Amino acid sequence: MRAAHLPYAALCLALVTRALAVPPPLPAEHMRVEPLPPRSPHWVYVYDEAFYNEIDARVHLFDGDSYRRLGQIGIGFLPSVAISPDGATTAVATTYFARGSRGARTDVVEFTDNATLANSGEIVLPSKRAETTPTLFGVAYSADGHFLYASYVTPAASFGVLDPAHKTVLGEIDTAGCVLVIPSGPNRVSSICESGRLLTVALDAQGHESSRAMSEAFFNADQDPVFVQGIPTTKGYAFLSFLGEVHEVDFSGAQPAFAPPWSLVSAAEKEHWRPGAEQVGAIHRALGRLYVPMHQGGEGTHKDGGTEIWVFDLASHRRLARWPMQAHKLSRVLAVQVSQDGAPLLFAATNHADLAVFDALTGELRHVEQHLGQTPWMLFNP
Amino acid sequence: MRSLDQLFEHSARSLARRTSRRSVLASLGQLLTGAALLPLLPLDRGSRAHAAQARPGADSPENCGYWKHCAIDGFLCACCGGSSTSCPPGTAVSPITWIGTCHNPGDGRDYIISYNDCCGKTSCGNCECNRNEREKPMYRPSRNNDLNWCMANADSNYHCSLSVILGVAEK
Repeated sequence: MRAAHLPYAALCLALVTRALAVPPPLPAEHMRVEPLPPRSPHWVYVYDEAFYNEIDARVHLFDGDSYRRLGQIGIGFLPSVAISPDGATTAVATTYFARGSRGARTDVVEFTDNATLANSGEIVLPSKRAETTPTLFGVAYSADGHFLYASYVTPAASFGVLDPAHKTVLGEIDTAGCVLVIPSGPNRVSSICESGRLLTVALDAQGHESSRAMSEAFFNADQDPVFVQGIPTTKGYAFLSFLGEVHEVDFSGAQPAFAPPWSLVSAAEKEHWRPGAEQVGAIHRALGRLYVPMHQGGEGTHKDGGTEIWVFDLASHRRLARWPMQAHKLSRVLAVQVSQDGAPLLFAATNHADLAVFDALTGELRHVEQHLGQTPWMLFNP
Repeated sequence: MRSLDQLFEHSARSLARRTSRRSVLASLGQLLTGAALLPLLPLDRGSRAHAAQARPGADSPENCGYWKHCAIDGFLCACCGGSSTSCPPGTAVSPITWIGTCHNPGDGRDYIISYNDCCGKTSCGNCECNRNEREKPMYRPSRNNDLNWCMANADSNYHCSLSVILGVAEK
């Protein structure tokens, strides 16, 4: 080969090499609906009230291990959410307007299959549903899942008894001004009264009232009202008061039983530090640990959110830890939830709509998911 | 004005206990609406001037810190096309409501404030105001701002909230 031919040979070699290096074309793609992976105890349902456009609230399903969103449930206008005792179904009591933001009102309980996040039926309600900020007691299942109860406020107070298996309304029970539906056992519903008492209605097999009884008063609405966001315990619910008293109510018997209240705050802290949030506490039931968003403030700050999360031992009533949110540059905590497994995660939703994931045993911050929705005001363990 | 305070609380409690038909509610609501809209006091009209300022002052109804908003949790109608006593165009006043007691630093008096909602359009989304002085949970509905007080309206969507003086609160 003459030297003058060398550049041509090099060019040919380069072209061949390049042709050989081009990858094969991409295969045709196929669309599908992503299946949910098997349920994890580290999943959390994030209730986004969508306060700035309230007809479009939603639940985001978030994985506290992979830090990924797994799916969403549309939940309408000022809804209440309950998960069935077997975990298979999410029930959402909500309201729709015929023309989007206006028009005829339809109240309905919608069911979602938690294995697929697909709608699995509905029950149309009378237009009486209690439209309020999130609470565990707007809609609630009986312990065996046989009944579903829906709180009504027109503002006359009552509740509906529903049959989730047959998707029917069984009846309505007047509650004499007492509000919300706190379920216990297979057939009991308690409602909170302005007098500080609990009205408990027992139902027969058809879902009709068989008896009712009024408890003694366990709080004083004038001096120190309790938040209506009850926190599930092993035998019932704990209710926190505005000033930080803990009222543990045992709902395992025919009538509620009240343990002596105890305080989250010392005498020096009282009326300076107090609980405040939309969801004011979470309990790891096996460990007996209570997590509460706490802040410094006076009367009227009960929705202000926590600048710290305080951790308590339910058996000894001893405070175990204070976890300041400022240390992680987090804004005020408006909702907390803790997973119920042996390596628990503590979830905290903030005023800036961030979701923080902590090690619930040590307080170590694992992750901050920024802007998870608009106004995440309640967290559920699915 | 403990007596007026008690009157409204008593009314709400009695209503909740005795009422189950919306028609009765509507009738009572009309009465309440009339009562709420009657006392348009000079203090309130004066605040309209401040609403035109670029940055609302402490005595502007567009400012969450405005004294009348002491128990509100929602969007200020003054920022949504209305004022502290008028609903934005195309919405409707809620006939039923919750009340608060607020201190007016201008005259040193406490006033009973009615927080009627404006209804029929989705959330205004402007001037969110979350103050809860003496606000109580929903087992005391006459003092609760978490309930949707558009609940008895024909179009029950929540848009924004008013702060309407009902009268002076007696000590």
